[in-house]
Amino acid sequence: MLSVIPRQLGYSTRLFRHFATNAESLASPTVDPIEIEHFSKLSAQWWDEHGELKMLHRMNPPRVAWLKEKIAELRDLEGEPSSPSWKALGGLRILDIGCGGGLLSESLARLGASVTGVDAAASNIAIARIHQSHDHSLNNLVYRHAAVETLAVEGQQYDAVCAMEVLEHVDEPKNFLKSCAEVIKPGGHLFLSTISRTPFAHLLTIAIAENTLHLVSPGTHNYDKFIRPSELIKFFKDLGWLTGTYEDRPNAQEAEVRGIMYFPGNGDWQLSNRGSSWGEQCNYLFWARKPKTP
Amino acid sequence: MRVSVARVRFHPALARVQHITPRARYATTAPTPAEDYDIVIVGGGPAGLALAGALASSPAVYATSRIALVEAGSLDKVREWTMGEGEFSNRVSSITNVSREFLHGFGAWDYLDQTRTMPVEEIQAWDGLSSARITFNTSDIPSSSPARSPHLRPSQIATMVENLNIQRALLRTLEDKPDVNLLDNVKVLSITRNSADETDDYPHLTLSDGRTLRARLLIGADGPSSPVRAYTQISSYGWAYPTHAVVGTLFHRPHPLGLPNATAFQRFLPTGPIAFLPLSPTAASLVWSTRPELAAAMKQLDSAALARYVNAAFRLPWLSLNYLNTVLLESYASGTPLTASQAEEEISFRQQAHSIDASSALSSLQTTIGVPAEGSDSFPPLIHSLQRGTIASFPLRLTHADSYLGSSSQGRGRTALVGDAAHTCHPLAGQGLNMGLADVCELVRCLDAGAQHGSDLGTQVVLQPYARNRYAANHSMLSVTDKLHKLYALQSWPAVWARSTGLEVVNELLALKGAIMLGGGAAREEPNAGKAAMRFAADAVEVGASTLYGAKALLSGLGSIAGTVVGKAVGSLITNAGKQ
Repeated sequence: MLSVIPRQLGYSTRLFRHFATNAESLASPTVDPIEIEHFSKLSAQWWDEHGELKMLHRMNPPRVAWLKEKIAELRDLEGEPSSPSWKALGGLRILDIGCGGGLLSESLARLGASVTGVDAAASNIAIARIHQSHDHSLNNLVYRHAAVETLAVEGQQYDAVCAMEVLEHVDEPKNFLKSCAEVIKPGGHLFLSTISRTPFAHLLTIAIAENTLHLVSPGTHNYDKFIRPSELIKFFKDLGWLTGTYEDRPNAQEAEVRGIMYFPGNGDWQLSNRGSSWGEQCNYLFWARKPKTP
Repeated sequence: MRVSVARVRFHPALARVQHITPRARYATTAPTPAEDYDIVIVGGGPAGLALAGALASSPAVYATSRIALVEAGSLDKVREWTMGEGEFSNRVSSITNVSREFLHGFGAWDYLDQTRTMPVEEIQAWDGLSSARITFNTSDIPSSSPARSPHLRPSQIATMVENLNIQRALLRTLEDKPDVNLLDNVKVLSITRNSADETDDYPHLTLSDGRTLRARLLIGADGPSSPVRAYTQISSYGWAYPTHAVVGTLFHRPHPLGLPNATAFQRFLPTGPIAFLPLSPTAASLVWSTRPELAAAMKQLDSAALARYVNAAFRLPWLSLNYLNTVLLESYASGTPLTASQAEEEISFRQQAHSIDASSALSSLQTTIGVPAEGSDSFPPLIHSLQRGTIASFPLRLTHADSYLGSSSQGRGRTALVGDAAHTCHPLAGQGLNMGLADVCELVRCLDAGAQHGSDLGTQVVLQPYARNRYAANHSMLSVTDKLHKLYALQSWPAVWARSTGLEVVNELLALKGAIMLGGGAAREEPNAGKAAMRFAADAVEVGASTLYGAKALLSGLGSIAGTVVGKAVGSLITNAGKQ
């Protein structure tokens, strides 16, 4: 329907680029107290459930449920023991790219994963760390001000990589996706959520949400950057993820595309059924799995 | 529910105590490090303990959350609570089948002392002026309703249980759940935000033993004057009724034909309803709502004299009861409480005035044991005495909090209210605790879902469905009980006219039936609730045909004068049930 992250709190905005240089050192005791105060206020904004990110807060439970479901499905398919639902991600190393204030990272960590949250905006990392510091249940979560390309160069490897509401803001999506693919272990998962390039999406996200209702600042979205599910599928076919025939598991070599739609009546996001056509019209979730053997 | 927490922070007298306590003074300069809890429940009454028990039975919540329950009183006293055979506590609840299923679902029901519970198979309610009567039993519960369950006797519509029996059972459920920390004999001195760090939005509880708890989610199960509600700054709407409820344990002889004591009786008097709730073949619980001055006078009576008044209140015409009330108030004012023989004399005199024979079912006087009089099953058994020490009274209030969740934008997030902390109502439909248990059931469902999603359990995303799903249901129940009560208090001529024609009575009794049958979450996941509601409408015609001029008169009556008030209440109940 529309991007759930307003521009001033988003992945790569001018505002945060402005702060990015000094904010990296926030964790150190020498940091300027005025800056801490500034980030505290932004932190309150990020985590205000009634504020601008209300829709993103609401989106979190259904997307976490879907992520758990995919991982459990694949474990089941390959005969691995299942975990209890509340520790469904136990033992997994997960990277959350574009973690923002840490909404998704925290949930994944509570479900047992060892989570690394990265964001290109240092201020987001500062916000996420402040919020984490209040929560005694988040010992297996670290935040880094880093780009996925840096992690790829370092040779980091993860069981799952998430890039939620990021792709539509990236300048070079192919390079970005390649770096994501590099840091995933063989047999690991990639979870994306983004907006499709359809007239419907243009209407909802730009014509209505930005220019008419001003739910999101005008200029947040660039229609040309929207990516269709078919383009993602083609990209991963070319990469060899979706054509390989490993272990005769047809399910594991097909991408999954699920539309996700906001229903203002009850304030819930709902996922479309697999293969349903409205799923590809606007906001959607995308899953693909890296082959176990190259 | 016990009001369990001192409101030091909000109460000047107790704040003074805090100043002279060395520990408290020390705490202001060097605070003890706060202990982190995910869920802190304040209040160890039935709702708070049920919440702890049900949370402990959710594997997701129990495995991922540190839970504490804070209670000002002694939980050991509840654990060790006993009473002699045949004696009963005066705080008794009518547990609906839906509530019972909920308690059964996490094992608490099995820990009840079953010999102290009583299944209710029939409820008889009638009007004090017109004697229009409505009887309801399981045929009024749709077969698909969760209120019909394989665990239940097919004829059972509710179960009478002492609140302490429920609390003790819940504590036993928690015995093998060591990770639920029960902190009793501890008062909450204050609830505050972390003043040193405004990004820390967790409530901090300072306890009377010097500890500080930091709560991801703070739940107020702390009764009508809830300190947690005070912290949340949620205002509440409501009023005190000019009415007190007199409670006590009634003793009577066993049924002469050996029948079980399975019928509850309620008569609606202009001063308020009087209810007889069976507890054993020879005991029952009294809930008599009446004017405060009458309640005060009744409490001065000895057991035998009060027993006679109770008998008369179920049987004598209102004219005579009103006279008996005057006699009672006069004797109370003169400082010489009425004796049992004086009471008997007055009642006997009034019976003669109404030509009530001493051997008829309408006689309030004990006769020799023999074949029961015809029609005696329409009235509760004759009471001979009340259990020593059980006569008590309390004021009745309607309150409804404006919200069940503290506002995060006002810095009072991470808080929720359940049970009497969120709402109190007139006891005439016996729904107070059932509403609280329905709250608990829904809140636990939301927290369980939150734990499965890895959500922060103190957030609105997790808690909002609880408030959304319970607020309207509770509100319609509060409206029905309130309107029922108020209709009887109306003295204006249109109301009296409507009452005297009997039209209004049918409406009221139907609303009562709706409240009891659909109440306390009975309509939850009830696909046929609409049909059940329609059945109530059909009953209206039935009752109408027998007591009025026929269905046509009834239907026109539904739209008339005071009728619209309760008509709307029933309407909202039906609409609400239909939605669910």
